[in-house]
Amino acid sequence: MLALLPRLRRFATGLARDTARADDLCQMTVERALRSRQQWQEGSRLDSWMYRIMRNLWIDEARAETRRGQTFLDEDAGVAVGADGGQEARAQLSDVDRAMARLPEEQREAVLLVMVEGRSYKEAAEIVGCPVGTLNSRLVRGRDALLAMLGDDL
Amino acid sequence: MTFSPETLAAFADGQLDSAEAADVARAVDADPALARQVERHRALRARLAAHYAPVLEAPLPDRLRQAVMPPDATVVDLAQARARRTRRLTWGGGIGLALAASLTLAVVLQRPGAEAPLPGYAAGALASALDNQLSGQAPVGAPVRVVISFADASGAFCRGYASGQGGGIACRDDRGWKVTRQLGAQVATPEADDGAYRQAGSHDAALMALAQDMAQGAALDQAAERAARAEGWRKP
Repeated sequence: MLALLPRLRRFATGLARDTARADDLCQMTVERALRSRQQWQEGSRLDSWMYRIMRNLWIDEARAETRRGQTFLDEDAGVAVGADGGQEARAQLSDVDRAMARLPEEQREAVLLVMVEGRSYKEAAEIVGCPVGTLNSRLVRGRDALLAMLGDDL
Repeated sequence: MTFSPETLAAFADGQLDSAEAADVARAVDADPALARQVERHRALRARLAAHYAPVLEAPLPDRLRQAVMPPDATVVDLAQARARRTRRLTWGGGIGLALAASLTLAVVLQRPGAEAPLPGYAAGALASALDNQLSGQAPVGAPVRVVISFADASGAFCRGYASGQGGGIACRDDRGWKVTRQLGAQVATPEADDGAYRQAGSHDAALMALAQDMAQGAALDQAAERAARAEGWRKP
């Protein structure tokens, strides 16, 4: 599980768009996974199972925040997720953060799972818990939106 | 033949079956506009991947490490049969650093034009990284990333590394860095009970398993690495 943490943390960073919140989410995921470990089926992929836990926790969290009337981070708050590059790199990275922040949750998670985490459409659909066709159309919409926002630099 | 935007995107993602992919590939070859679309998909993917990659390299915060490894380490074990994993989880230090998500079989040990390297010994960029890099401190874009250092049963320093083409473990002897283990897509770890961790994309665990099996004692922390480096990685 320790070996999976960097990748889980990357997924969490994409979902939460804020390092501290991403680490909260990661910690919750690990704790939930350890408590629920009997539910993990031997021979199935541990990483997919943990992605699923994380994704569901995040959705719960997002709903709870909406109920509490809190707004999500505004789109400038989650910039500079990682990279300590030069100034130019940092400015460019912020563009990606801003573009990702504008995507609806369901498109963002599809984009993250397939394009960042490298899961197949089928695996991503299983993690999200939707049909492959649905996942595919969310991905296409998310990707088109990103291309529209970032396209000039690509 | 025309293709839907979904199909083109799936092609760029490598998600089509081979027959369909061949159809699209032919069309893309013949049509610069299609080729440009596919290129944009790939460029976007590369940009996203590069954007989130630093998270993989960053040191794990202690609280996450501790969440996985509570003081009562037996709690960690996902299955009682995995007692070995519990020991592996007691490793601190450098192993919180991810390897590339996919490692393939080949490891480039030599670069053309380099002075004749010894067979089985690291050369070129790999040798340089093993000599100089601290674990987890690879510069962005470095061809080789050293992820862990430890001493083996003979006391020799060994280092686990990942590169775009593969990964492995090299141990220092009088002649250089001898590559003692190579890791790739089809290389099994010594543990038969570890199947879930060994599937594609999970090679980091396999590399750590190899390191754990070879190591005598704990992984070197950064101070110990600096000390070893200052001594040219010779046995203490």
